Amino acid sequence: MGRESHKMKALSLLRSRICDPKFIFKPLHDSPDSNYSKLKFMMSSSITEACNNSILLLGPRGSGKSAVLELVVGDLLVEYPDMISVIKLSGLLHSDDNCALKEVARQLCLEHQLQFSKAASFDDNSQFMVAMLKECGLAHKTIVFILDEFDLFAQGKQRLLYSLLDAMQSITSQAVVIGISCRMDADQLLEKRVRSRFSHRKLLFLPPSMEDSKSILEHVMSLPVDSSLPHDYAVEFNRKVQDILADRRFKETFNKYLNFDSSVKHLLRFLFCAVSCMDLQTGFLTCENFETAFSSIMRQPKLECLKNCSILELYILVCMKRLEVKEQTLCNFNSIMKEYKNVHDSFRTSDYYARNVCLKAFEHLINRELICFTDNRGHSSSVEFRPAKLLISSSELHQGLKAYHSCPAILHKLMDREG
Amino acid sequence: MDKEQTPKIARRTTRSLASASTLDNALTEVTNCASPPAINHLIVEGDPDVDREGTPQIPRRTTRSLASASNSDNVATKVTSIDPPTINDLLVGGDPISLDDLISTFPGRRNQVLELVRLLGPLNSPILPLFVYGGPSTGKTSIILQLFRHLNRPLVYSSCSTCYNQRILFESILNSLFLHRKSAANGYSNAKRCERPSDFVNFLREALANLINNLKSNSEKSKSNKMEARGTGNMVYLVFDNFHLVREWDKSSTIVPFLFNLYDLLNIPELGLIFISSTSPDTYYANMGYVEPVPVFFPDYTEDNLHQIFLRNQANQKLYSSFLDVVLRPFCRITRQVDELFATFKSLFEKYCEPLSDNGVVPSEDMKRRLFSHLKPHIGSYLNEIFKVSFPPSLELETHKETKRKGNPKKLERYEEIEELEFHMSTCAKYLLISAFLASRNPATLDDSLFDSTGGSNSRKRKRKTSTKVQEQKQSAEEELLMKGPGTFPLERLLAIFQCIVSVAEDPSDEEDQRNDGLGIHGGNGGLMSDVLLQLSSLCNANFIIKGGSCAIEGSTRYRSAISEDLALKVARSLKFPLSKYLYRR
Amino acid sequence: MAPSSPIGDDLLPSSMAPQNIENNIKPFYVLHKASSQGKDRKSAGQGKKRRRKEAPSSLQSPKKHEGSIAEEHDGHHLHQLQFEAFCSFWSKIESTIKDVLRNINGSVFDEILQWVMSCFNATRSTGEPSFANSIRSFPVLNGSTTRQLFTGLVITKNMEFVDDILTFEELSLFLKHQGCHVGMLSSLDFSVKNGIAGCLKALLREFMDTTMDSADISNLASWYREQGNYNKPLVLIINDLERCSRTVLSDFIPMLSEWVNRVPMILIFGVLTTVDSLRNILPSHVLHHLCPCKFMLGSPTDRMDSIIEAVLLKHCAIFSIGYKVALFLRNNFLNKDGTLTSFIRALKIACMLHFSVEPLSLILSQALAEEDQEDGKFALPPDTVLKYVHELPSRARNQMADETGRNLAQGFSNLVSVKKLWSTAVLCLHQAGKYNRIRLLDLFCEALFLSKASDCHVGNGNDSGLPSSNSNQQRSIIQECGYISQIFRKVRDFPPEMLFQLVKSWEISTAGVVEIHDKLKTLQSSLRCEDGKRPTKSTDSKKEAARISLNSEKDSRILNSLVVTFMNDLVRSFMRPISCTPFHEISCFNDVEKLQLALTGDPRSRIQVDLLNSNKILQCSCCKKSSSALLPSMHDSSIMYSLAEEHGDLINLHDWFKSFKTIILDHKNKRKQKLKLSPHKRKRKDTNESSDPSEASIQARFCNAVTELQIIGLLRMPSKRRPDCVQRVAFGL
Repeated sequence: MGRESHKMKALSLLRSRICDPKFIFKPLHDSPDSNYSKLKFMMSSSITEACNNSILLLGPRGSGKSAVLELVVGDLLVEYPDMISVIKLSGLLHSDDNCALKEVARQLCLEHQLQFSKAASFDDNSQFMVAMLKECGLAHKTIVFILDEFDLFAQGKQRLLYSLLDAMQSITSQAVVIGISCRMDADQLLEKRVRSRFSHRKLLFLPPSMEDSKSILEHVMSLPVDSSLPHDYAVEFNRKVQDILADRRFKETFNKYLNFDSSVKHLLRFLFCAVSCMDLQTGFLTCENFETAFSSIMRQPKLECLKNCSILELYILVCMKRLEVKEQTLCNFNSIMKEYKNVHDSFRTSDYYARNVCLKAFEHLINRELICFTDNRGHSSSVEFRPAKLLISSSELHQGLKAYHSCPAILHKLMDREG
Repeated sequence: MDKEQTPKIARRTTRSLASASTLDNALTEVTNCASPPAINHLIVEGDPDVDREGTPQIPRRTTRSLASASNSDNVATKVTSIDPPTINDLLVGGDPISLDDLISTFPGRRNQVLELVRLLGPLNSPILPLFVYGGPSTGKTSIILQLFRHLNRPLVYSSCSTCYNQRILFESILNSLFLHRKSAANGYSNAKRCERPSDFVNFLREALANLINNLKSNSEKSKSNKMEARGTGNMVYLVFDNFHLVREWDKSSTIVPFLFNLYDLLNIPELGLIFISSTSPDTYYANMGYVEPVPVFFPDYTEDNLHQIFLRNQANQKLYSSFLDVVLRPFCRITRQVDELFATFKSLFEKYCEPLSDNGVVPSEDMKRRLFSHLKPHIGSYLNEIFKVSFPPSLELETHKETKRKGNPKKLERYEEIEELEFHMSTCAKYLLISAFLASRNPATLDDSLFDSTGGSNSRKRKRKTSTKVQEQKQSAEEELLMKGPGTFPLERLLAIFQCIVSVAEDPSDEEDQRNDGLGIHGGNGGLMSDVLLQLSSLCNANFIIKGGSCAIEGSTRYRSAISEDLALKVARSLKFPLSKYLYRR
Repeated sequence: MAPSSPIGDDLLPSSMAPQNIENNIKPFYVLHKASSQGKDRKSAGQGKKRRRKEAPSSLQSPKKHEGSIAEEHDGHHLHQLQFEAFCSFWSKIESTIKDVLRNINGSVFDEILQWVMSCFNATRSTGEPSFANSIRSFPVLNGSTTRQLFTGLVITKNMEFVDDILTFEELSLFLKHQGCHVGMLSSLDFSVKNGIAGCLKALLREFMDTTMDSADISNLASWYREQGNYNKPLVLIINDLERCSRTVLSDFIPMLSEWVNRVPMILIFGVLTTVDSLRNILPSHVLHHLCPCKFMLGSPTDRMDSIIEAVLLKHCAIFSIGYKVALFLRNNFLNKDGTLTSFIRALKIACMLHFSVEPLSLILSQALAEEDQEDGKFALPPDTVLKYVHELPSRARNQMADETGRNLAQGFSNLVSVKKLWSTAVLCLHQAGKYNRIRLLDLFCEALFLSKASDCHVGNGNDSGLPSSNSNQQRSIIQECGYISQIFRKVRDFPPEMLFQLVKSWEISTAGVVEIHDKLKTLQSSLRCEDGKRPTKSTDSKKEAARISLNSEKDSRILNSLVVTFMNDLVRSFMRPISCTPFHEISCFNDVEKLQLALTGDPRSRIQVDLLNSNKILQCSCCKKSSSALLPSMHDSSIMYSLAEEHGDLINLHDWFKSFKTIILDHKNKRKQKLKLSPHKRKRKDTNESSDPSEASIQARFCNAVTELQIIGLLRMPSKRRPDCVQRVAFGL
């Protein structure tokens, strides 16, 4: 019982680590040239000498922009206790200027224990914001605006950005605007009036190199030796992790995986699956766990779809493929049926079904999204006349047919010989 | 929050007591359970029946039976009044189920179940968003729900087909998170009103905070009562079913990325997200802007999986399995979806059992053979029938009679369809329908050659005389036309053809006019022409003619006939109208 | 029948007092003036004198020229009486029609109810979820993998939907009465515009009368689980499936099937045409959520037959329609729109026209009142009766000596009896004809035709030139023309048992009527003795007879011939024309033109005709004389239209304008002197055109007229391709 429980504890410890970005990025920020220290320097300087500032954090998804920012802000909040108030916006939620300003007002009210009125109009809110900026400036309090998904704010009229940056032009105000975006050209999206008010400090976040990711893995996976966990178990566990890291087979899967996408988030998914594969009997990670994790994440949806298809559906797919090869002008259900009939007549296939059954199979394929309609006038015309097209390449189809065990030989033949 | 939490628990427990004892002193319990000592004294014996498997099931079952067996109003109302929604409404409930039972109830799903269990992990362990996908009726939803019943953890389920837009989705999620229950008392209103994702996120934060505090306090108590074996834990899971439908909402510009990013937006480690979709993750790539969740794939059932599935809860296993041996393979070549096969097999099995006296018998080999030979004729027809309409008993008899007369019912049906029109249509409407069919079938350039003064009969001959080469390309063009489906035509063309047809149909129609010129059946051309537009509109209503564009008088509206050829032929036959003569084809 | 009632209301004033129609159609007189004119040109104007002129027999009544005050007064009194009489009379007919329809639908309704109950029990047997489960958001976990919705397809075999609105309303009432929750949605709730939200709103509104802002089906679930709602089945009727938008339906049905364990909804679809239409509307994955069951309503022709039988033959046998009218109704039913509604409407109009035209028709309602022992409150002062009796053509024809009300009374009773005989004969024939699907409608028309053809010895020569109605003549008619002879032919080679059935049915149907019944008795006796001839002493038990008649072929022949002779006898002796009996005008309405006018408006052609000769309608002096040539004083749009007649399908705007301008500008001088002639009556145009109208004003009028024509719906604005041409809409219609 006890042993189980501490293995369980180890497991949930690992999982919680993986799900907690702060922990992941802890080790990265000690080096002086890391984004962490740069960002921290900028912000702290702009806080201490009470000036306005605006920074863009750019980098591919899952490269830890917001996590690092979180760390920095957390540290700053500790260092300068009541000199900072943080306003967080996300482009996904507040891309609409109106509700963005509402949100700003709401958070400001929350920060300063003020009464927030839902009914306030856009102008009220913007005036309120400017007033608050002034107040905070006088009180030597820096307001940090964090705009996640910055590019989404840039679409539309950009009234929020404008009013924000415009308010920051005045001496009294004291604010830092931090935009986070995965688009490298995020600042190009800004209108001229906005861009002119924007100080173009950018921090580039790059996905970690192979070594870094290895170190991250090590950092995440190794249990603390001095904790509630039994000491020998922890040591043993870490030794096993080291073995795995040294293992050749593991290395190549790891490389394969990271070549696909080397961002940290991606890595974390991998680790998560691996950890969840760890069996509680032994309570140790093995190479197999990573293998299974790899196979479970690296999926080939189209091939799976093809595996799901019934024979009849395969027939239809092949017929469509043949039509494509013949470069027929239109390909809708009727022409497919014609082709299907030809195939049947020439090869006397065993499964030749009524039209409505084929129509049903056709609709199945539509639902599986292996094929799709090429026109968009949905409910007007009936299904069998709407032009359709394949969504899988012929090579995928080949592969799928090969993989499909009980696939009739005739289909292979039809695929190979054209016409 | 705790303050208002404890009475909840107290009341819940009193319900259990009440169910064991009678209702009215349950009410007294409610009254006196306000005092703290009462509370924990109640909790001690109150919690088991909610939180632990084994013996203390009895009181709950009695509640079930009480709630369900009694259909009279007062008890129903009492039940509603007795239990206000508690955290336990977020549990799937039902008697606890062991993992092995769970696996055995879902044949061919062992791997998926185990993978899910592993991913969900032990109690109170955070989780990355999961993306469960697989074809329709592959047991995604029910396995997830059963799994949560097994794990006994709170989940908030919301199906995106029931919640057909984001507002309703948000509000239903918030309802269940705020433990809000609609009723006539509150006018079936929602807990919160929220339409924007931003509001939703704020409400969600609040609700989750409350809920997680409750859960924590609960688990504290249960720890204090030394029963963490089946604690509900601190995690809350949001389950989005039919997630593929969300892509159609507002063209999924914002809502899909938002939901996928919900985890990062909130970053509450106690929150678990599970997306259930019937399409694979790559169909979401169209709108990027999120990091993929962890995929879990449910493949379609294989043939022997289906065999096991259909064999479940069958009265006579042997018989049914022999039936399946016969039937399953041919049908699997068409589809492997359970719900589609289910209906067919039910009626087919009745056919299969017809020769049997009692369905309890264990079939011997020759009996199997006999049954198969009995079934064989039906299989083909069932294979080719996607939508089978049954009859009420009275009609059933008639059909049986006819079946006796004509043999195969399906054949009979088709035969009848060819024979005569099942429904009433006025002559005018029929002519209009035919002309619409012609108008959308024939190219407009041929009209004058088809409908010249002599009623097209010899224009056909003229077309005969063209060279074979022309014939060839004509034919190809015509096939192309057929493929493309019915063409559209303006109102004028329809009316012109209509007039031609009517005139043609009324000069040569000799014998019936002969017969009833005394009666003067035909009201004459003008008679038919009089309110054509009315007929046209009613044809449009019956979906025979599809009308594009807006108003008939203003900008040129174009029509298209949507009837199949055999229907047109039927109508023509009912008019004794030579339709085939006018069709543009060799 | 409810849908037909408004017609009566809006048509009644038009025949009673046309002048107030004139008032309420002032604004758009180009459209309406014509028709109203037509009405009071043809149908009865004000005052009974004009009406007498229109009376079916157009005979010159001696005193039609003096109109004394007394006349007028009792004329008004007469109107009052006639109107009341009509109302009571029609109410009776309507009630009978209602009963007939209800009887027709009754059996189907019972079937549906049984089916609903069985479905409900089926859902119950799977075990209802507990309260808490049923209102949760996630589906109930019981082993049943099926999530199918029970669906009843009620197939109304009519493309037109009008008749069935009432049917479905009655169905919903019936089910409600049997204790179901019934909701009724129409295709309007399934429109693409409102989408799924709209139809859910409608659904909730139907079942739970509270309106909530967000339509969510979980509301329905919690409502259904509340105070005891859940021991009644939930039935949702969608009465015209074909019109629903397929997208909304294919969202709606899966949603229901997702909740089917918690909200066991039972669907009833009204399908106009065939089951295939359902297949066409819904995609297969939606179809799999339904487990359908088919119900057939009676076909419209059957309903029609039963209505004719009830109204024209059996129940109010007194009022009848002439051959022409019957034929017109029949053609209208078969050719134009096959709806009972319009048929009944036509019948109503006919009835009312009859009452308004024929003062003596009061006797009908009186007789009807006497039939069910009411006080005959529609009595006329005898002298007026006499006056009208004088005017009756039939009475004028067959020379009756004395002019007292006595012979009126007995003549009328005699008429009624003849009518009864006639209708029974027809019914008998129909019973014979039922075996080979001969419609009563056709039979009825033909019977009327017979009587009309043999009517001519009374010598109104306007109809077919058959000399006189001796028997062989009638024979020839029977031979030559369809249905009756068909019946005879069929009866000739009936198998005997069918013969016996036939005779039995006759025995039932002729129970009341003495003459025919006696004949039938004799026939039966003769049949019996035919059987008696057989070696084995067999009674008239059918199967006995059948068994024997198999081996003896010629005997059955004899039987057949006997029956045929009987039927022949029926035709010859009892299907005597009503129109040669005196006073037939009292009961028989025989004026097609009015009916046609009232029924088929044919607005488009009317508009065009009226536009072409507008000066006939607005009788202004200015363009009175040369009606052929176009005058500038005519109304612009009419000028334009008649100009457009010269062009084809496409009209070149420029040419059109040119010709219009010439028309406007030419013979100014004529108008000058015309103005001198009649300065007091100058039209709007003339005032502003006293001087030569400016180019701009002409253009303005041109555009004005064009838009007017467009609004009427005769023109279509220029397209992108041909910006210089306007196109005619529905050219030649």
